[in-house]
Amino acid sequence: MTKIALGASDIWKSYGPVQANRGLGLSVAPGEIHAIVGENGAGKSTLMRILQGVEHPDRGHVIVADAAVRFAGPADALALGIGMVHQEFMLAPDLTLLENLILGDEPVRGGRGALARIDWDAARAQGDALADRIGIAVDWNRRAGSAPVHILQFVEIIRLLRRGTRILILDEPTAVLAPQQVGELFALLRRIRAEGTTILFISHKIREVMALADRVTVIRQGAAVFSAVLARTTAEEIAAQIVDGAPVPRAAAARRPAGSAVLTVAHLSAPAVEKSRPLHDISFTIHAGEILGLAGVAGNGQVELMQALFGLIPASGSVKLTGAEIAGLGPDRRRAAGIGYISADRRQEGLALDAAVEENVVAGSQRIAPIGRSWRLGRRALRRVALDRLHRLAVRFGHPGDPVRSLSGGNQQRVVLAREIAAMPPLLLVSQPTRGVDLNGIAAIHAILQEYRDAGGAVLLASEELDELQALSDRIIVLADGRIAGELAADADRREIGRLMVLEGAT
Amino acid sequence: MTGALLRDWAERGTGFALPVVVALAVSAVVLLAIGENPVTTFGLILSESFGSARRIASTLSAATPLLFTAVATAVCFRAGVFNVGVEGAFLIGGLAAVVAGFSLPADLGWALVPLCLTIAAAFGAAWLWLPGWLLARLEVDEVVSTLMLNFIAAAITATLVNGIFLSRQSGNNVTPPVHAAAELSRLMPPATLHSGFLIGLAVLAAYAVWTRHTPAGVEGAWVGLNRRFARVVGVSVPRTIITAMLLSGVVAGLGGAAQGLGQLHRFSDGFSAGYGFTGMAVALLGRNRPVGMLLGAVLFGALASAGTTIQLFSDIPLDLVNIIQGIVMIFAVVELGRFRLGIKPKVQG
Repeated sequence: MTKIALGASDIWKSYGPVQANRGLGLSVAPGEIHAIVGENGAGKSTLMRILQGVEHPDRGHVIVADAAVRFAGPADALALGIGMVHQEFMLAPDLTLLENLILGDEPVRGGRGALARIDWDAARAQGDALADRIGIAVDWNRRAGSAPVHILQFVEIIRLLRRGTRILILDEPTAVLAPQQVGELFALLRRIRAEGTTILFISHKIREVMALADRVTVIRQGAAVFSAVLARTTAEEIAAQIVDGAPVPRAAAARRPAGSAVLTVAHLSAPAVEKSRPLHDISFTIHAGEILGLAGVAGNGQVELMQALFGLIPASGSVKLTGAEIAGLGPDRRRAAGIGYISADRRQEGLALDAAVEENVVAGSQRIAPIGRSWRLGRRALRRVALDRLHRLAVRFGHPGDPVRSLSGGNQQRVVLAREIAAMPPLLLVSQPTRGVDLNGIAAIHAILQEYRDAGGAVLLASEELDELQALSDRIIVLADGRIAGELAADADRREIGRLMVLEGAT
Repeated sequence: MTGALLRDWAERGTGFALPVVVALAVSAVVLLAIGENPVTTFGLILSESFGSARRIASTLSAATPLLFTAVATAVCFRAGVFNVGVEGAFLIGGLAAVVAGFSLPADLGWALVPLCLTIAAAFGAAWLWLPGWLLARLEVDEVVSTLMLNFIAAAITATLVNGIFLSRQSGNNVTPPVHAAAELSRLMPPATLHSGFLIGLAVLAAYAVWTRHTPAGVEGAWVGLNRRFARVVGVSVPRTIITAMLLSGVVAGLGGAAQGLGQLHRFSDGFSAGYGFTGMAVALLGRNRPVGMLLGAVLFGALASAGTTIQLFSDIPLDLVNIIQGIVMIFAVVELGRFRLGIKPKVQG
């Protein structure tokens, strides 16, 4: 009888000066759902990459079915039945779900090599059988690009099972799902477990761990510091282990009456960006000294709304900033009019990762005195302004000339905030401000946003963390399928928010 | 602070030296294979290119067009615009300068040279404005458009040189010579090194200032590093792309003018020995940095000037020099690939 389906023994792994794993041990019993929790940067992703054979540990080894193994590459891990569902699904958007299911391992009927013919009937039968086994229905003819995100996730899982996966690893599988869909996923995972599949499940939401897992391992600073059967621990104990006994820092809400209208949006519509939803007839107002929360399942128009308000995508309707119409203006003019923009995509849009810290923090001011003087750019003035902004938000960095890539996620986000808040614009558009930021960084970023609000600033805050939205916002509007599904007080029942999030057939 | 600076310079140094060293190693193998002594051959190349004042002058003379074409390439590459059309702008600018140099009245005197340079810069800029506009407004791939424009430039200049600008005296694919007043002065006669080299150095210095000490130059780097970022911080990406192309055209046009007015004193078929493309290799080797490109231009200039004389004094074929050049180019690009891989997102625990 196998004791350890998948495990790790004394894993050490470093990336340059960063020690990601320090003697990490893990033991997952066959047929259990095992949750791995820990802060961002604790070493979870590195461990997963090692378990998948993508990275080699500097020391230590992976254990599969009680035996120490050494993977030459991901193919070895796959051959031993280890499969992973990533946060970004590995599906080709232009192929149908059925084509995606069999891609790379097609059932053939006659012929060999390039002349082989695909047996579509067999493929469909296999897909149906697997879908049936885990209790879902899939429209196999649908293009992956147009399928709802939870269906894509199911197809990823089915695809791995079809390839003979006996140990399924899921990386934050609920991040993209609405509360109701989370329940559906959990039911499905329990059925897979009942069939004998071992599940390793990475999360940073303790509530979900409590609901799903049989056993939990907490990773902190590269080592497994705590492991327990769920029945013998509590949410409080797990939370304390994640942050090393320190209480989870949470911004305290001090609400004050809001001032005059800063942003008034009326009948705004905009086309979809990538795989998301177009916006229909959006109207709302944000006042001075107010944070308006924007809730919604990812891909229901949040990105479109932020981009349309900042002039990055064309939109129809009226947008007034402190009374002046700004619809039709580009991002440069809107920035000048007084909008700060904090992108959800910090690495691709918020920062130029290979440019210097100082250039990232002053970008946008390069043509304004004291940095820009007619055709010249004052490097000394640039550094002075940069250091002032960096120090004001207590950004930790080496040298102002270092690439901003060298900073931690939390400090990178502070660089973005330092840049966007510097001129005290009346309005901030903020998306996912704490994504990929550790707990202490989160508290600091929350404090910065609240300070800005208390100084009379208006904020539109989009976040996939309901806790964050409820802690920071004065009011919350919910986006579903590109429309405003409703408006609630910040302390509304989260089940009510969840109900609005999946309204009107949104996915 | 000094640590970071030292590391930066060390990195740039290896980025430059490695392709050169590898190219020499491969060439040594080739030399051994054909029964030549690599040490004496490299010594010969070195002495032929730097052995005396006259030879240094000849090396710098060969480096002159490369200074221009490398800067013209770097201006675009650092903004993420893969302009391979410097060769075409070099030809167009060169012909424009030469035609102005023999058809404007000779009694303009000292004003003739600046006039010719201005005209060449304007023609070069106009030539590259088109692919810049196509890229910025219609997203037409700049590699394809600028590459095709090179053929068109070659065809136009060849037609004109054999047509309306054909010299009546010589009659074989050359224009008449420019007025004496339009010639760029020779710095060390009888060597061909001319004041175009100094203009090239000035252009390189202006490039150095532009990249770090002007808002437009810094914005260009941001557009090259991350277009979405540039847009969000209020930089107009289309305007930046067109500016880069225009500047590239100006510099390439000036390079053509320097070649026409300083080196050849006329325009002929085969006016450019692929300077636009060698300049691209110099820009890649020098990582778009002023000092790196200066060294790169001198290196390729040395190979070119040594190559023409070396076969007079040994059995070594001229092809060897071409092989060294080619290998340096390849490894300059390979290094670029490694550099790109090196900036992959770091894995966060």
